[in-house]
Amino acid sequence: MAASGDPSPDTLAALYDLLKPFNKTGVDLKQGTRFSEDLNFDSLVVMEFVATVEDHFDISVPMNMLPDIANVAELAAAVEKIVKADKG
Amino acid sequence: MAGIFDRFSNLMAQRDAILAGDGADPFQVKFDEVISQTEAMIGNRRIILCGTNNYLGLTFAPEALKAAHDALDAFGTGTTGSRVANGTYVGHKELERTLCEFFNKDHAIVFSTGFLANAGVLSTLMGPGDYILMDADCHASIYDGVRASQAEIIRFKHNDAADLDKRLARLADKPGNKLIVIEGIYSMLGDKAPMKDIVAVKKKHANTFLLSDEAHSVGVLGRYGRGLPEEAGCEDDVDFIVGTFSKSVGTVGGFVVSSYPDFGMLRLVCRPYIFTASLPPSVVASATVNLGLVKNGGALRTRLMRNAKVLHAGLSDLGLKLASDISPVIAVVAPDPQVAVAFWRGLIDAGVYVNLALPPATPYGYSLLRCSLCAAHTEEQLLEVIGIFKDVALNLGLIERQPRRVAVG
Repeated sequence: MAASGDPSPDTLAALYDLLKPFNKTGVDLKQGTRFSEDLNFDSLVVMEFVATVEDHFDISVPMNMLPDIANVAELAAAVEKIVKADKG
Repeated sequence: MAGIFDRFSNLMAQRDAILAGDGADPFQVKFDEVISQTEAMIGNRRIILCGTNNYLGLTFAPEALKAAHDALDAFGTGTTGSRVANGTYVGHKELERTLCEFFNKDHAIVFSTGFLANAGVLSTLMGPGDYILMDADCHASIYDGVRASQAEIIRFKHNDAADLDKRLARLADKPGNKLIVIEGIYSMLGDKAPMKDIVAVKKKHANTFLLSDEAHSVGVLGRYGRGLPEEAGCEDDVDFIVGTFSKSVGTVGGFVVSSYPDFGMLRLVCRPYIFTASLPPSVVASATVNLGLVKNGGALRTRLMRNAKVLHAGLSDLGLKLASDISPVIAVVAPDPQVAVAFWRGLIDAGVYVNLALPPATPYGYSLLRCSLCAAHTEEQLLEVIGIFKDVALNLGLIERQPRRVAVG
């Protein structure tokens, strides 16, 4: 179902690029790729990766949002939501 | 049916793997007798204490012991109530007045532990629409405190003022208040915050405040022991100082001081303040007396730093990898958790107690033998500690038998 809230291909492509250096398990990066289970992110890696995403999009991703972000699609949706709110 | 602890099964398997083999459990040490600030007995074995955070050695200060005994006799063993119910005695108010004088601040609130001070203050200072920018290496009590707040939480890179600046700049158009949270000395490696740089960043941005947890630096830094803000000369720029009585002050309890107007209203909203029994009168009395000893403890601070130099030089000359500069906390890096446990067991068996610290509680994923120094350590004790470190590290093959420094002549 292509709901209006689906992340754009541009956002996803950017996230896949940013993820490459963090992809130590060498899995195929897809929308459903999970940070914890598939990429083995621990809390330190999460911190580094979030900082990378923040710098790329020039946004702040509050720690409060992280528990609700388990996979790439959810991160893309969160990023787009923050970008939109910042343009407000 | 699933057991209620099944979700911890990975953690339990990790623990069992790390603690495999014979020897003491590093997380279940029991001291049968405490001989002094620097020595204890485990069974019939004498142990040198090198991991107590008892930086100034005030746990047996005669003045504090007497005050505690007097308060115990006069007021009993406990208050059996919270500060807002029946738990505020004259001693609690006197302690808060003493803290105001010690720090030259208008307000002081005493909590029952340092953890509760952080949890209470950080959950209530900032609210919805506000932002908390915390150093990534902050203590668990800070993480728990900010999580319980309704503010947005943003972490910045450890001790990186430029990273903090960048993150604050991104929030420039947001209307809320911003609170920067750092620690004076970070507990695991003993490194200091770049406080002057952080204050400069704070001043660049509107509606931005600074809170520093001085748990490990009160008593240790500054001419009068007021911590990193005193040493760095920026006491007026640190809006909120959190601290503890359980390290240099030699007892237990936590506090926050500030000159921010109406700060005392936190007493009405801090749940860890309202719903916890207050400190026993004997603890309050010893904290009050020991704060005076901390203030006038210049000689103790000199001895503490001298001891830090001796241990740092001794361990680094052995060829051990240290993650600390010369500071009252000196962390030795072990190659992995298993070796760290074996190292720790070797030390305790030979008569030295240090802290074992393992990831994820450590920065950079380090496995650490964390030493903390005491002003009361003698040079003989420290040389014994260094000798035992040498024997254990040799046995584990972590260092070479050859001395690194060959005497000339």
